[in-house]
Amino acid sequence: MRSKLVAAAAILLSLCAAAFAHRLDEYLQATILSVEQDHVLASMRLIPGVAVSSRIIASIDTNGDGVFSEAEQQAYAQRVLRDLSITVDGRRARPTLLSESFPSLEDLRQGFGEIHIEFTVDLRRSGHERKIVLENHHQNAISAYLVNCLVPSDPHIRILAQNRNETQSFYQLDYTQLSASSNSFFSRVWSSLRSWTNSVGVASLFRLGMRHIAEGTDHLLFLLALLLPAPLLAAGSHWAGFAGTRHSLLQILRVVTAFTIGHSITLALAALDFVRAPGRPIEVLIAVSILVSAIHALRPLFPGSEAIIAAFFGLIHGLAFAATLSQLGLGRWERVAGILSFNLGIETMQLLAVAAILPSLVLMSRTRSYAILRIAGALFASFASLGWIAERLLGVRNLVDTVVDSAAHHGLWIAGALLLVSLVSSSLPKFRRYPSTLPSHEPRPLLRLSSHPLHDDISHS
Amino acid sequence: MHISANKIIGVAALALIGSSFTVSRPDTATSRIVTAANNFLSSLEEKQRQSVLYAFDDEKQRATWSNLPTSFVPRGGIPLKDMNPSQRSAAMALVSAALSAKGFEKVQQIMEGDEVLKATDGGQPPRGNNGNPPPPTDRNGPPPGAPTGPPPGQQGNGANRPPFGGPPNGAMFGKDLYYISILGKPSEKDPWLIQFGGHHLALNITIAGDRGILTPTLTGAQPALFTSNGKTVRPLGPESDKALALLNALDESQKKQAILSFRLADLVLGPGQDGKTIQPEGLKASSMNERQRAMLLDVISQWAGIIHESAAATRMAELKADINETWFAWSGPTTAAPGKNISAYYRIQGPHLVIEYAPQTLGGDPSLHVHTMYRDPTNDYGRGLAAK
Repeated sequence: MRSKLVAAAAILLSLCAAAFAHRLDEYLQATILSVEQDHVLASMRLIPGVAVSSRIIASIDTNGDGVFSEAEQQAYAQRVLRDLSITVDGRRARPTLLSESFPSLEDLRQGFGEIHIEFTVDLRRSGHERKIVLENHHQNAISAYLVNCLVPSDPHIRILAQNRNETQSFYQLDYTQLSASSNSFFSRVWSSLRSWTNSVGVASLFRLGMRHIAEGTDHLLFLLALLLPAPLLAAGSHWAGFAGTRHSLLQILRVVTAFTIGHSITLALAALDFVRAPGRPIEVLIAVSILVSAIHALRPLFPGSEAIIAAFFGLIHGLAFAATLSQLGLGRWERVAGILSFNLGIETMQLLAVAAILPSLVLMSRTRSYAILRIAGALFASFASLGWIAERLLGVRNLVDTVVDSAAHHGLWIAGALLLVSLVSSSLPKFRRYPSTLPSHEPRPLLRLSSHPLHDDISHS
Repeated sequence: MHISANKIIGVAALALIGSSFTVSRPDTATSRIVTAANNFLSSLEEKQRQSVLYAFDDEKQRATWSNLPTSFVPRGGIPLKDMNPSQRSAAMALVSAALSAKGFEKVQQIMEGDEVLKATDGGQPPRGNNGNPPPPTDRNGPPPGAPTGPPPGQQGNGANRPPFGGPPNGAMFGKDLYYISILGKPSEKDPWLIQFGGHHLALNITIAGDRGILTPTLTGAQPALFTSNGKTVRPLGPESDKALALLNALDESQKKQAILSFRLADLVLGPGQDGKTIQPEGLKASSMNERQRAMLLDVISQWAGIIHESAAATRMAELKADINETWFAWSGPTTAAPGKNISAYYRIQGPHLVIEYAPQTLGGDPSLHVHTMYRDPTNDYGRGLAAK
């Protein structure tokens, strides 16, 4: 008996000291949120484990008389609410206590009593995109948290994402909401239309599509690598000179359109469950597609067929877009509107990216320094794609993601700097590639793949 | 009066045909369960019978179940310990008739595990730093004729130590402390409900015509691994192994979606959480291949297959039709020691399904103590059928 007590005490001591948490010494705090139009209802269950229950009891039974009085219960519930930090759409919000119920002190002491607290938070209307953050600081050192939200009973509310930290003491809920109020005929028609589109989350899917391209740098890198040689003419196994503004613009348009058609087809087919492809091979193929277009930017592999290649690889990229969309768990017919808005988001972001570098591309491709840009860009893309292939195929972790992400993060600066350089280089006559006369002392570009430098000068339009 | 041999033969033939009709009255699972229930009820004394029977729509009794020992959360009905051997076997025959062979074996293993727990540490729980042991809540000794002493081959293991304070002499754990109650009148047409449970077990079996509904049901095990008659027993072993096999069959990008980045310390929809549908998370089965979906269904069948075979087949067909809208989420270690359970949490959720597997960390190896939950938020206690 004595030795058991000693053993129990030893276990207890080690538990208190240990970094790993046990339910014995944990205070379980489980919260379920229910989101309505103008408020969120939260119900909390608080269950202290045997080893910490006396500590919790002491903080409830403040006068130590062995009974949880009405006033002590109220005070403890209010204290729990004070320990919550809640923001709604970025603004601090106050919870209102609705009810509290306590088990007997003895049940709580033995580690199976449950304290129930219900509270509500006012959600004043603002916008369709909404965000609730719940941070629970109550007894952080000894607590294990569970936070979930119910599937909304209101069809105007759609959950987009739940994010938590490792312990769930931080919880963020993103959702879209449509107001059901409004009276005029026009606004009712508009609102029912909106409620349909909103039930699909059109706006948020559009944004998701944009973000997917902005953050899914591999798609963008493929497209940009393919556009690098677009203003040029191929001459045998190397890239020759500028093909003309009209040609360049048409070529860029063709490649972007072909890519769009390609990925739209598979995105639609996969999102509607007509085709399905395993995630990892697709990710690897996408990395390969970047490598192919990067090599093509170095030396023409398929001159004149860029659009076909863009469409072909577009088919593969579309499958990856579909995987993103399928994570949202939309119903099959909701997906039709979903695909449309998601794809529009993708196209918009893609066009923005192309528009950002298009002037530089066209301006600079007239100059000798374009070879530097083209080759540097192609090498960067090959480096990135090889890194991704290694990571996705062999599981080799490397720095590619970090490097590419930080480049993408500074995308606007890079595009701006590029424009500046292209403006300067195209206005300085000594960088001009195609002077009316070719002086013999013209400095050669620093990097040149072509073994026949004169080819560069053939095709001035 | 002259009776011809022909007439005698004719009457005999008619009698034969008539009796064969009564004998060949369709012997369905439901009729067998009703017969077993009536056998059990008629074996009871009037006072016992009154304690066993409740109204079918008694919401309070419906919700009177828990993972906790019966000394903490008193169940309705009567415990096996208050039955004589023939009543006891009639009770177990009823449970057996309502379940599949595998399901009944699982139930017996869970009860056996509780017996091991009682023999290992029963009544001598670790004390917290809160001083006084609680007053005994149950002074009943073991019932006459009940097995006493440790079962053969039980395992001594610190992790089996029960987490709660409780009365001495083992009245908190053990095979005797499982309760049975019947809500409604056993019928082949109208719905009625059998409840059977105790520590780590809560079966709610709604019989409605030829349908059988097992939701909500809680299974648990502590110790989740023990030896009995020289054999190693893991009552919830397949639940653990098959889920881990499914996780291992996922590719990296699927795993990324299935594995949640946060810890789940317990069941989200455990006892007292009836009728709630939480936002699903993890990997949707529509992003799985055919083989992975089959593996997922196999995991699900560990719960859906507890009920008798024909009800299980109906249920599995329903869940199979839902499969593309079913989600699989995992939290915790992605490996298990050979022959042991996982120590990770997982959840399977679909339009008509919530399964949660939640290892409990009560001061020991979490793979040795698990609670699981099996629900149909649209049809708990057969509510969905009654609504139709």
